[in-house]
Amino acid sequence: MAHDPRREDYQRLSLRYALELDGDDPFAASRAFATFGRRFAQNRDSLPQSDADRAFHLVTLATEAIDYRLPFATDAQAEELISRGRALLDEALSLDASCWDALRMRSSAQTSSIDERYWFLAGRVDEVQASCEEERERVIEALGGERGTLGATISMRPYWRWLASMAEQALICGRNHDAVAAAERLLASDPRDLSDVRFTLAYALAKLEDEEGLADLRRRYATISPLRAADDAWITLAEVALAHKRCDFSAAREGLSHLLATYPKCGFALIRQSELPDGEFARLRVQPYGEDEIIIAVSEGIVLLQEGSDRSGRGVLGSWVAKAVSELDPTAADEASRISGGEGVTRQ
Amino acid sequence: MRAWDELVTRCAERRRAEMGGLSDQAFEELLIAVRENPAAFAEAAPERALLVLARALDAYRESRSHDDLLDDEAFEAERARRLEALRAECERALAEDERCLDARLVSLLAADLEPDPLLEGLLSLDREFARELPSGDAWEDVSCRPHLRLRAAVARTCVESSRFRMAQSAALSVMDASPSDPLGARHTHMLACARLEDEPAFDAVLARFSHRESAWSHLARVLLLYKLDRMPAARRALHGLDELCVGGAYALLRPTFVEIYLPDRPEASVCGLAECMMAVREAEPIIADVPDFINWCQGFDWLAASGARFAEKNDLEW
Repeated sequence: MAHDPRREDYQRLSLRYALELDGDDPFAASRAFATFGRRFAQNRDSLPQSDADRAFHLVTLATEAIDYRLPFATDAQAEELISRGRALLDEALSLDASCWDALRMRSSAQTSSIDERYWFLAGRVDEVQASCEEERERVIEALGGERGTLGATISMRPYWRWLASMAEQALICGRNHDAVAAAERLLASDPRDLSDVRFTLAYALAKLEDEEGLADLRRRYATISPLRAADDAWITLAEVALAHKRCDFSAAREGLSHLLATYPKCGFALIRQSELPDGEFARLRVQPYGEDEIIIAVSEGIVLLQEGSDRSGRGVLGSWVAKAVSELDPTAADEASRISGGEGVTRQ
Repeated sequence: MRAWDELVTRCAERRRAEMGGLSDQAFEELLIAVRENPAAFAEAAPERALLVLARALDAYRESRSHDDLLDDEAFEAERARRLEALRAECERALAEDERCLDARLVSLLAADLEPDPLLEGLLSLDREFARELPSGDAWEDVSCRPHLRLRAAVARTCVESSRFRMAQSAALSVMDASPSDPLGARHTHMLACARLEDEPAFDAVLARFSHRESAWSHLARVLLLYKLDRMPAARRALHGLDELCVGGAYALLRPTFVEIYLPDRPEASVCGLAECMMAVREAEPIIADVPDFINWCQGFDWLAASGARFAEKNDLEW
């Protein structure tokens, strides 16, 4: 699972639309609903919506620019995308001061350090929770039934995303207990883990070298994510890190083999270990077990890989992983060295 | 490592065992005699090996006293040469006694390896030289000291290679075997506690040593509280480090090169500059893991001012 801003935008407006139709005769309602999709796509402004809905729509546009287009942009485009993203978020906040997604996304550019960003998120999380819960109660009362359930989920998502960001930020700051606490708070509020915060939790537990906690998380997967087994890149990499820390190199190597067997082009990502900017709206939505997912998991795993006094600058685990994967997957090693060789040429 | 003292003790104790029935006073006199000319008494193979090592360590330390005049490149070359010479002497010591653990340990450390291969080497030494340590304080038995030094080096290398639980347990095994902990394994333990955000273990080890503070305990406390996001307390701890450690602010804000320990930490006065520099060097992997930590420290004007004052007073670069 993952947060999908466009789908959420659609869901918000369809709920609002359904609410407005209630009371009309059912045939008219179903006719009206038949045109909803077209109107959503082509004539959004003709649909009923609140300022909060409009603000969220601006958030989806900002997400499109910052999270999904910026990574592929040229320098000139990048500047434009960033300022466009910021303007959209500002506008969202001017429409709806409780647009927590906009406030959260904007804070990454407005705070001067990762600590400050963390403190900003931690400092307002209770307020965000209270606001989202209040909205949830209102929505359940207004909609009731199945729609009420969907509406309630949608109301809580900004809080969940807030906590997911907080957990990730705490992890980057080196506050691993705080990362665990934020992740657990999110899992308590959303036991089905729409945000996939258990991935961040796995890394935080590995940082704390909490073998039991990680084993327990693996068991909890059955209830947290019944449709996705505990074989994703995050929990596997967390286990590789712990095996390496207890000098159980064969178990660590087994974990890497598992990743190589599960993810395509995984060897290359594990050798390169590139660090990418995190998604501002939420962790980027990519194909599970796809090429992009391993890249994201490795990028978030830099906190584990780049630790220790290794002279190569890659970190003790990072160096070991690159070496072990090169042995397990020589083709990927060739490709990685070809590309870094090529980069050397371009730089000159 | 006070290699000469240990050599003297070893020689005198062997003599006493051979002669049998020596009074305390006679043993004192024997000690004086050995101290005057240890080489003459180093008859058994372990003593001859230790004699070679003691001389080699002296030569190594002596050759370091000219480093200040060298530029970076010359320093690197000189350092490599010096470490290589020390390793060659370790080989000579091992030719006297192949079971000289100190020579094996110094040689391994002087190879200046990356953390993972170093740890592997240390652990394999630990297996090869495994022995039951006596109850009480193993430090009192001079033949146990090399084992304690090895375990302490294992603990420090675990920190270097980001294995903090293992660092804790290796350090604890040293403290359990030698409760007086002359090797300062508790310092390594405290750093590992900071990294693991393990406040109860930090408090416990501090209490075990009667709350005797050190540059490590001060620094570990700042890191621990910072990581636990208890910022006012972390600020007070930083203030404590600045007040109670001579040159603490300087060492933290201007970290300098600290040579590898051969085979253990050089002696230094408690909470003095040298100790601070060692603590900061050992904590380096932990500091790097809290990316905003140094920025946060630098944000306190009083800390930077204190570091600058110290530098000026002691004619150090700032």
